[in-house]
Amino acid sequence: MSHIHITLKDVSFGYEKNKNILTNISFTAREQESVGLIGANGAGKSTLLKLLVGLLPGYQGSVEIMDTAVKKETLPWIRERTGYVFQDSDSQLFMSTAYEDIAFAPRNYGLPADEVERRTARALDLTRITHLRDKQIYKMSGGEKKLVSIATILSMSPDIILMDEPSIALDPKNRRNLIQILNQFTHLKIIASHDLDLILDTCQRTILLSRGNIVADGPTAEILKNQKLLEQHDLELPLSLLGRPQT
Amino acid sequence: MDELAARDTWLNRVHPLAKLLVTLACISVTVSFSKYNLVGLLVMAVYPASLFILNELSFPDALRRLRVVLPLVCMVGLFNPFFDREPAASFGSFTVTYGMISMVTLMMKGILAVLSSYLLVASTGIESLCYALRRLHVPAILGTQILLTCRYISLLLAEADRIVQAYSLRAPRQKGVHFKVWGSLAGQLLLRSMDRANEVYESMSLRGFTGEFYDHPKNAFQWKDAWYLILWLLLIAAARYFWR
Repeated sequence: MSHIHITLKDVSFGYEKNKNILTNISFTAREQESVGLIGANGAGKSTLLKLLVGLLPGYQGSVEIMDTAVKKETLPWIRERTGYVFQDSDSQLFMSTAYEDIAFAPRNYGLPADEVERRTARALDLTRITHLRDKQIYKMSGGEKKLVSIATILSMSPDIILMDEPSIALDPKNRRNLIQILNQFTHLKIIASHDLDLILDTCQRTILLSRGNIVADGPTAEILKNQKLLEQHDLELPLSLLGRPQT
Repeated sequence: MDELAARDTWLNRVHPLAKLLVTLACISVTVSFSKYNLVGLLVMAVYPASLFILNELSFPDALRRLRVVLPLVCMVGLFNPFFDREPAASFGSFTVTYGMISMVTLMMKGILAVLSSYLLVASTGIESLCYALRRLHVPAILGTQILLTCRYISLLLAEADRIVQAYSLRAPRQKGVHFKVWGSLAGQLLLRSMDRANEVYESMSLRGFTGEFYDHPKNAFQWKDAWYLILWLLLIAAARYFWR
């Protein structure tokens, strides 16, 4: 198996006793793979992503990042290698300027000032937002905040990127820009989204969750063309496959 | 305030440690004047006045930002004229009492301390300020608390703004917020801001935060910073010595 991978075996989790949000989830995602996580509201997509970075303790089964079990003692190691982009950028960004926010993680990992500067500049460059370096966060548009959010995790040089609804609240231009940026990353990516067109454009593999269970796992094009399967689980064909313009 | 602190002016470029030390010295000397030493306090007003002018900061803007704090500061000596009625000087039929003088000096001390602090934050920024505190060996936990409190206040204000907006859009004829819904709005505000604060904390911990903020200064402490510090300390010391 490749060095960088995520493995889940029979994972179940619930916020309340006897009420599972996720039930017997098992899959493996490997190096350079881009995996789309789709499902209707409440299917458990965000919960699954949060389990991977240890934000939700108390699960059953086994969650491993590069053969290391996700538990309290291993969280610093796992979080240094796993970047998580929140659904709401306002929750992700908490410093005053883009630079300060992007430099936050490298500084916390005790890197010297010149390395912090190098990583921050590279993250800004990769997300094409060098011009936003000293801009105040509260003055940014939704699209700008989303790109800064992605840059904040790129400065950690993670092996794995997890994204929760990355295209939410983005206009068509910013969305296209985001897709281009995501496609240039070679990290292992797991992208949870309702935006099936985004999944179609960025992920080779898709996992369909329904009421906390994996009901399909395979090539994206195959799953997203299966109208019957999607409709059975409260989803619809992507607009691009219906021949309609994407919004 | 963040915007003011992000400006590229000569005062903003001064090392945060130098500005912090000057501000601490200024406030300490200001509050050390006797309660009847009005002239000494007027001399101390030179510090904030000169920084407002030299750094092109708007004084009315500062008063607007401090409009909640300044009245509270001014209330401190409000009752002195009633307790201390000993005459100090007379102008015709009008008698100035020591109580009146002490009221004015107390107000001035408060106002000068608040303005000095405002100048420090407006020219330094909260992150750099906490960096300066760490350089003075103030416990890291205190700097972290200051930074987190600042973040929480901004979240709280943003949530309050959203709630009031949503309320006013559905109660267009209502002036302000009706007292009957104060309880439920306050509860909502607390719950929502706590949720947001928790998410922010999660975001921080996912990026290696373990309870301490790390900051690299943009500039090292240079000779110009030392001159700024020495010059102001000499002026403040002179004011204290000659107008004691």
